[in-house]
Order: sequence, then structure tokens, then C-alpha cells
Amino acid sequence: MNILVVMIPLSILLLIGAGIAFFWAVEHDQFDDMDTPKLLPLLDDPSPKPADAQHDDPKDTPA
Amino acid sequence: MSTCWHCGEALPANPPLATVAGVSHAVCCNGCRAAAEWIDKLGLADYYRLRSSPSARAPDPQAAQRNAQTWQRPELARHVVRTLDAKHSEALLLIDGIRCAACVWLIERSLSAVAGITSVQVNAAAQRARIVWDPARTDLPTILAALAQTGYSALPLDAAALDDARRREARAALKRLAVAGFGAMQAMMYASAIYLGAWGAMDPATREAMRWLGLLVATPVVFYSAAPFFAGAVRALRARTLGMDVPVALAIALIYAASVIEAMRGGGEVYFDSVSMFVFFLLVGRYLEMRARHRAGNLADAMARLVPAFADRIQTDGAIERIGALELVPDDHVQIAQGERVPADAVLESAASRVDESLLTGESAPVRKSRGDGLIGGSLVLEGPVIARVTRVGADTALAGIAALVARAQSERPRLARAGERAAAGFVARVLALAALCAIGWSLVDPARALTATLAVLVVSCPCAFALAVPAALTRALSVLASRGVFVVHTDAIENLALATHAVFDKTGTLTCAELDLTSIDALDPDEALALAAALARGSTHPAAQALSRAAAGIAPREARDVRTVAGGGIQGTIDGRHFKLGQRSFALSDNSDGADADSVILAEGVHVIAAFALRERLRANARETLDALRADGVSVELASGDAQTKVEAIAQRLGIESWRARMSPADKLERLHELRARGARVIAIGDGINDAPVLAGADVAVALASGTELAQAAGDIVLDGNNLPMLAQARAIARETLAVLRQNQRWALVYNLSVVPLGALGFVPPWLAAIGMSMSSLVVILNALRIGRTPAQTQPIVPTLAHTTS
Repeated sequence: MNILVVMIPLSILLLIGAGIAFFWAVEHDQFDDMDTPKLLPLLDDPSPKPADAQHDDPKDTPA
Repeated sequence: MSTCWHCGEALPANPPLATVAGVSHAVCCNGCRAAAEWIDKLGLADYYRLRSSPSARAPDPQAAQRNAQTWQRPELARHVVRTLDAKHSEALLLIDGIRCAACVWLIERSLSAVAGITSVQVNAAAQRARIVWDPARTDLPTILAALAQTGYSALPLDAAALDDARRREARAALKRLAVAGFGAMQAMMYASAIYLGAWGAMDPATREAMRWLGLLVATPVVFYSAAPFFAGAVRALRARTLGMDVPVALAIALIYAASVIEAMRGGGEVYFDSVSMFVFFLLVGRYLEMRARHRAGNLADAMARLVPAFADRIQTDGAIERIGALELVPDDHVQIAQGERVPADAVLESAASRVDESLLTGESAPVRKSRGDGLIGGSLVLEGPVIARVTRVGADTALAGIAALVARAQSERPRLARAGERAAAGFVARVLALAALCAIGWSLVDPARALTATLAVLVVSCPCAFALAVPAALTRALSVLASRGVFVVHTDAIENLALATHAVFDKTGTLTCAELDLTSIDALDPDEALALAAALARGSTHPAAQALSRAAAGIAPREARDVRTVAGGGIQGTIDGRHFKLGQRSFALSDNSDGADADSVILAEGVHVIAAFALRERLRANARETLDALRADGVSVELASGDAQTKVEAIAQRLGIESWRARMSPADKLERLHELRARGARVIAIGDGINDAPVLAGADVAVALASGTELAQAAGDIVLDGNNLPMLAQARAIARETLAVLRQNQRWALVYNLSVVPLGALGFVPPWLAAIGMSMSSLVVILNALRIGRTPAQTQPIVPTLAHTTS
């Protein structure tokens, strides 16, 4: 049963780590909107590059 | 296609064309055309493929540009923009017309094309966007103009809204829930080790270690996650009441304290797993309730949407300056354009006009105002421009008065202390007394066994089952109802809904749609008459004109020339060289006979009546069925409306409502409600308009329609999604079921306790049996609660409702 001496503190450390990660995610807006983001990937088909000049990527401009 | 490609509204006779991805599409107005072409130019035309519902009608580009510029004024910018640091400013926008996830996609993409915007966060549920930008590279008017170009009108909210109380609450609740969830899982793991170890050979040291580990994980659950229960209990006790929190807090404290003592003594059983699980279950219920509440919106947002943001002030030199409505002071003169809202309570100073006050009074027909008449802030000017003198601003206006009435009615509503809560709290108090007696008794007889017996009483009596009896049933009911499109904002609405004896309905917007239906045509050649009338009516926004246009959809269109709308009368124009008038009798025939039949529209050529069109309000889908179901259930149904006598009577007859009242102001309706309640009735109020909000706030159960105004939703206990009126009857059935389960739970908890507590007090219950008894009694309560809503929802025929309007 000596293995418990290692495993239990390890599980508690993991628990605390998960808790901290979750708190961080909540504070960083990850859970503010639970309705929209789940739908966005369904919509996010690759769209053509905006034709607008404001968004031009330097690499796209012919040399 | 006879509807606008962008917003789905009816097309005018000669629609403008928008070219998107090389294909021309007919749209209803220049605003929609500009929006569609702008979206295409940004390379975001995919939006049209992705969206699941038509967009909102795009704002007029010129007006939007002008409005956006107004926010540049320092007097206004000061209120809405918060400076984070030299390179970052922040504002919170209330965006109209977010209909689906594709809108969020579009807004985020189109704004990221504006140079200088650092971050955009769109929340579809709250219809809000939080935008951070670099003030050196762009400014608020540019951002608003970019949004308007994409077809969304946005309203900056007061900067105070940035410290979003709702967001803070949601975040705190989520963290508490997570801690309780993690803690419960871990505590359960250590507890299983102890239970399994009891049969095998577990050495005492490991057993001891498991207990302390349980204490370690349960402590944050009790002190952090359960903090709101303790705070609520303290508040309730200070106010000398017994709320739901009192028994819950006592139960948590008792079990935790008993377990800590046992862990310290190294003696009997510990119940850290039970207490963590208990907290977790309760928090899940609270979290669901909070989400429903947030979905229903808040009063402040609702007000911000209603009060116009701008006013056109007439300067002393006659020039017109666009300013923020909050800059107005009494005796300012303002000009209000056709189709705009009156910025504050005012007196009409120019010639007569028609004004739509339906939002405020519930009267569906436009009201005619002449010089010197009062205009209510927030009402819509149908014929303009008009000039008005401001009389009252800010908190003195009629609209602010309604909001204040809502707030007061809400705070005054006697939230009946639930019988169950009182029973539970009383029970816990008695158990405590019994435990004390037991401790004293045993310490006289046999001091060594005093502590064990006292703990056995506390544990075996299981305040959990009692404290869970009510929340478990309510939580289950909440989630069942939410999945069927009924959002319960206040849980006590469930009990009141089940026990309600009266239902007071609003008419306009609740039982009826804003649209009119053509019922009959009195003419020699009905088809020809309809074609002529439709030609005149095309392009008008008046409900009667739209009803005629709709009815004529299948008839070959005619072309009308020189079409002119006459204030408060009707439409005139020339078709094939003949001159026609369409409108109220007095207008069409140019006589002074009073329009006895207000809902009838006359088409005339000179003095000859060609046709009389009878119109009536369209009933909301399944309105009759809903009322019948309620009546069959023993609820007496009433109709209270701000609309005219004849119209209310007609609707009451069609729906078989015997008790109806017309011309009711919000205060009258509230008075009627008090009258009913004084006679001992429990009243459901169902409404959707601003004028209904005070009534909703003062009723035992307030049901608001999600399609209605935000103000009504903010005042509602229950919000019905998607115009689904028939769900009300089903919700009542579920509420009754919930109440039945709740009572069973309480009876079960009582019987269980009465049978085991005496045994515990006498020392006959060994600790392991107490633990099993405690878990089983809680489990029975929860499993019983899961029975609620097992009968599947009756499928309703899906009726497409285009009505998106308010009374």
C-alpha cells in the first residue's frame, strides 16, 4: 500500500492544477457565452480572403 | 421570391437590387442593399449560406452615419467609453438584430477588418458586444458606422454597464460549482476506500489517512462553494424569516461539524462525501435558475432599448443639431422625423400627426395628435416631421414611470414563504433541540456514549433528505421546462403556477399578432377592388395596408401613380387614369361621418364607394386551444387590454372570454390584479408589452413572451420562448406534477425521520447504518424528483410566425 503515499498526493496536486486551470479559464472569458461558440465551428467554412484593402497580407502582394 | 433577400421583409413594387457574389438579389430597401453589398465586399458572403434565420432589417445608411457621428460629442462619449490605458478604450454595445450564430461570426469578421480594433467579443444571448480599440487609430463613430454598414444598429451602453454584475455573478457561480464538483468526486473516492476497507483488512493508519483526506477536499466545498447558503441563511435570520437557505445551511453545518469531530476523535463514521455531494446538487439547481434569470434580460438593458438615444434640437437660430437625448432639458424644442421615436415627454407644436403609442398603452390603432397634445416619450411618430416642446426628461417621463412601477411592484410582491421551507426549517430546529436533549440525557446516564448517540441523531435524522426534498424537485422541473422552451426565472413561480386560479391575458401581442387579416370584401368585383387597393397600399407600413397587400399576393399587380399618404386618413393615387382614395370612411369619401367601424377600410373613386374591406386582428397561433386548456384546468381567464372597447370585445368573443376589460392603463391593470388577489385568487399574468410590465411584476406568476419587449421579460417569472403560447398549459401540468412530487418527498423524509430518530437517540443505530440510512433517504428523494416530466412533450404543430412585434 506504500504506493498510496505517492499516488494520493499526486492526485491532489492534479486536482489543484485542474482547479487553477478552470479558474483561469473562467476569468479569461471562456465561459461567458455558452450558447454561441458551440455553433461557430459548424459555420466556419474557409471563406475567401477579404477583398478589402485594409486586410491585405504583404505576402499576397506580387513583388 | 417576394421577400427581401437580406431581411426577409415584403418587397416594394420596384425593389432595389443587390449584387452579391456576382448574382443580383431583390432587397427591400437601400439599407439592406448597402449591407448586403458591403458584406460581399468584405468577402463574407458566406454569411448568407450559414445563417439560420433572416437578418434584421438594415438601418438606413445615412441616418446610421449621422447617429454614429453624434457619439463623437464629448458629452455623450464621456458616458459610454471607458479608457483602459493610453492605447486601449473600451465600450459595451447593445446590438439589435443578432438572430443566430452566423450574426456573431459576421460581426466579429467585419469588425476585425476595421484598423485599430483590438478585440471584439459578441455575446448572442445578451445581444451585447464588448469592443476594445486603440483611440489613436479609430474611434467609436467609425466602429458604429462599420456595424451599421453590415446591417446592425448598435447602441453604446452606459460605461457603468462594463462592470457587468451579471457576468461577475455567473463567473462566481461557475467557480463554486466546479469546486463543489471536484470536491464531491474526490471525497466520494476516499469514502469508497473507507467503505470497502471496512470489509477487507485496512490498517487503521490508512483508514485514518482517508478520513483526513476527506476533510481536506470537503473543507473548500463547505467554506467556499456553500458560502452563498450561509450568507443567505444569515440574511434570512436577521430578517427574522425562515428562508430556503436556513435548513440547507444548518444541514451542511451539522454534517460537516459532526464529521470533523469524528475525524478528530478517530472514532465513528465521517460524511464528507455526503456533504460535498449535497452542496454540489444544490448548486446545480441554483446555477440553472441563474441562467434562466440572465436569459430573461434585465431592466436596465430594456430601458436603454426603449428610450431613444438621440434628439434633433432646434437651436435659437433655427438650426437643427443632433444631440444625445440625455442632454435635453425641459422647454427645448425638438424636431422628430417620420418613423422616429419621441425622445422625451413633449407637447406637439406643429400641425396634427399620427403617433403609434401601442408600445406604451397597448392601443393597437395609431393615435391622432393635434397641436398642444402631449406626446409620450418612446412613442413612434408615423407622420412627420413634427416639432415638439420637451416637457419632462429623464426620470420624470412616462416611460421611466412605468419602469419605476415595475421595480416597485416587483419589490412589493409578497413572495410567499413556501410551506415546504418553513416545514424544513422547523424540522431542523427540532432535530437540533432533540440532539441537545439527547446529549444532556446521555451525559447523565452514560457520559461515554453521549457523543456517539448525539452524532447518530444528527446524522440519521438526515436534514439532507428534508433540505433536498424541495430543491431536487424544483431543479428537475426547471431543466425539464427549459428543454421545452419555458424558462423559469424565479423558482417560486412553479408553486404559484400550479396553484393559480385566475389568468389575466393582455390582448395586443399576446393573444393577437400585430398583423391584420382581411376577412371580407363588400364589392361588386372583389378581385378587381382588391387589386386596385393593393396597388395603392403597396409600400405602406400601415398594418391595414399590409393586410391588403398580403391578400392580393396571388392577383396580377397593378401600377399606381402619384401615390400620396395623407396624415391620419389614408392613401390616394391614380391607377390607369382614375383617381382613387383608400382609407377610413371619412377620408375616402371626404365627408365628416364618423368612422363607426374603425377596422373597415373603404376604397372610393370620387364619392362612389367601390369596396369596403373588413379587417380584423389575427389571433396568435393556438390561442384558443391554450385558453380552452386553461379553462378545462379550472383557471378562470380574463382579458385586460389598453385597446379600444370594440376591439377587445371582438377578440373576447372570438376566444370565448366572458370577463374582459378595455381601455386599461398599466395602473388600472395593476389595480384589477390587486382586486383579484384581495379575494384570495392566485393570478397568472400573461403579457408582452411595456404597458404589461407593471402587471407582470405585481402578479403571483408573470409569464412573458420571448418575442415581446425586454421590459416585459425583465418583469416576468417565466419566459415562453418562440411565441409558444400553448406551452403555458403544459408548463402548468408540469408544475402540478412537481408540487405532487415535492409533497411526496417531504412526507417520505418526515416518515423516515420519525421512525429512525427515536432509535438513534436511544443509541440503537450503529454509525454504519446511520450512514446508509442517510444516503438512501437522500437518494429516494432525488430519484423521485427525476420522475417529473417523464411524459414527453405534446408535439405542437409548428406554425411559422412572422409577427415580431409588441403590443
